[in-house]
Amino acid sequence: MGHKSMKIHIKLIGVFRSGRFKEQSRDYPVGTKVQIVVKDLMLPQKHLGIVLINGVHARVDSLLQDGDTLSLLPVLGGG
Amino acid sequence: MKFLTTDPVAVPSAVQYKRCTIDLQSGATTLEDVPCRNLEDVLGGFGRSYQVLAERQVDNAYCAENPLIVNTGLLTGSSAMTGMRTYFSGYSPIKGSKKGLPSAMWSTGSGKFGAKLKWTGLDELIFENCSEKPVYVVIRETVEGPQVELKPADQLLGLSTHDKIMALHAEYADAHFAVIGQAGENWQNVYMGAVALSTENQLKSGEDKCRFAGRGGMGSLMGYKNIIALVAQSADKLKPLSPEVKKVNINVVKGGGSTRLQPISRGGGGGTWAAYDVMQAFHAVPLNNFRPQGNDLPEKLCRENVEQDYEIKSEACYRCGITCHNNVYAKNADGSRGEFLAKFDYEPLNLLGSNLGIHDAGQAARLIQLGDNYGMDSISLGVTISYLLSYNERHPEKPLLNGASFGDYEKIRDLVIRAGEGELPEIGRGSMRLSQATGETSYAYHVKGLELPAYQPETNPGYAWAIAGGHMSMATYGLLTREGKADIDSWVKGITQDKLHMVGFDMIGLCKFFDIANGIGTQMVVDCLKSEFNLEIATDDIRAAVRRAFLRGLALELRQGYSKEEFALPAEVYEQPNGHIQLPQIATPEFLDELQKRVWAVFEPELEALSL
Ligand code: SF4
Repeated sequence: MGHKSMKIHIKLIGVFRSGRFKEQSRDYPVGTKVQIVVKDLMLPQKHLGIVLINGVHARVDSLLQDGDTLSLLPVLGGG
Repeated sequence: MKFLTTDPVAVPSAVQYKRCTIDLQSGATTLEDVPCRNLEDVLGGFGRSYQVLAERQVDNAYCAENPLIVNTGLLTGSSAMTGMRTYFSGYSPIKGSKKGLPSAMWSTGSGKFGAKLKWTGLDELIFENCSEKPVYVVIRETVEGPQVELKPADQLLGLSTHDKIMALHAEYADAHFAVIGQAGENWQNVYMGAVALSTENQLKSGEDKCRFAGRGGMGSLMGYKNIIALVAQSADKLKPLSPEVKKVNINVVKGGGSTRLQPISRGGGGGTWAAYDVMQAFHAVPLNNFRPQGNDLPEKLCRENVEQDYEIKSEACYRCGITCHNNVYAKNADGSRGEFLAKFDYEPLNLLGSNLGIHDAGQAARLIQLGDNYGMDSISLGVTISYLLSYNERHPEKPLLNGASFGDYEKIRDLVIRAGEGELPEIGRGSMRLSQATGETSYAYHVKGLELPAYQPETNPGYAWAIAGGHMSMATYGLLTREGKADIDSWVKGITQDKLHMVGFDMIGLCKFFDIANGIGTQMVVDCLKSEFNLEIATDDIRAAVRRAFLRGLALELRQGYSKEEFALPAEVYEQPNGHIQLPQIATPEFLDELQKRVWAVFEPELEALSL
């Protein structure tokens, strides 16, 4: 049961791509929250500005579902 | 400033600031210590200047009664990080109501001029009337206190902002400068003149790395008054860093608030340029006059693509650890760093790049540099040109001016040059007037006469209540994009409670990047004020003063004839909704009607209670 996995399609934006990737599909156990992916990719938490699941704003504690597209964007600020 | 109290909230008059009023007609100068009326006066910047503007009825920006107020904030020239700001205030030549009355306006920039001005011993300059001949103004520190002198400026006429600064630097080695470019000299035909402020880096390297107080045409007002430059001459007077301020400064750099602005090499986000990547993820980067097409064209100006052909160097204003400037240099054939081209910030890069159909970084850099050298606000310039290009696209049989179209670099360059030279009032006077002349106003991307920054209005109805520029006087530009807020309650709260607080930075002398999310009503600011001046001010008092100052700005807009209908977004937003933007469509007529009702229901009773 606990070993069941799901496929998450991850899109990284801006500085997050540096040394990582643009888009990639990865397997995670069922019940994975966004923050586990953030940790897994070693993204600096203080840079994380926007989390989108299937294009809809979500949070680091949001639960992921099999087949989700998770986009992780850096902080936005104007000037 | 003089502090005869530790409690400026209870006894504001026990804080005095030094003002010099200069009658440009007679040359007379009056120095006085002015007691503060309230905490807004103590904090300074527009919080103080707007109270002066409120005392005057001005019906035309170019009239003798319209003052140019140059001042600093309480923390300008202090050891608090980013404390470099100078403010320029007056009734704006470019921003005005449909009734034809000019709006009160302020504009601000960093660089070192503000700190130098503060160190001369002056807190405020008020320029009255106009000088008959072109002058520059020297403000210097002497043993008897600050001294102000007018000097003939004929030798500076016709020079670019950078060349004026370097010419003055040759004469005043220990000074810093605020100058206008040719655009400000041509104030009759250019209402979007900016004021350029010198930086240490510029004076040392000889490269044109000014900072700008661009918005609202304060450089044109300066030109109208025949002031070509200001020179602030004094020794550097930084106090030794106290442990309290040191702690705050470390927090500013390391605490997370400014991380996104710091260099990528230091683990930062790489400045405001990074907004390109974020906005493009939603297909919300303005393209061809604010009509994103859902394609990847804007990515050509994203950093990772520009980096392949150009060298990018992170640099900073004097003593600032945030280091938010991304200076772009050509790469020589051998890979070494070549000529300095321009500083890439999100707004100028987009509005003089993708939004004009220019996707080549070198061409965008040249347009930014040209606009800067002529001393024009890059936002107003870019958006007025994009309006023209859009008009020409719609009327191929009868295009305006040189017939420029999106992406036609040579013709766009020609427009920038001729606008700066004062030969194209159609561009120089901004998009509101141009669109009124063509009769096609729906796709002129301004609100209340001031051109919009590079955030699509579809994503930011808060523009309507910004009092001095869409993204720097109302921080709602990220409410939908960053925070995902699409409900009316969040927007009412954002506009009427949280996001207006960013204007506090335009009072106190700090850059917004000091703590953009929280404003100035914070313990960090309280600690700085205590350590630098022994002032005891609570965060709530600061927030209340910022709110009053913001409301005064709104009240002044209403007094200058703005109707409620003018607190609106460009009509194209509702008439032709852009389906490419991948965010909830909140900019519907229904949403905006409801927002109008609810926002005014909060502001109106407070405005009634506020005496101008
Ligand atoms: S944050 Fe940027 S603009 Fe502000 S003082 Fe620092 S380097 Fe200058």
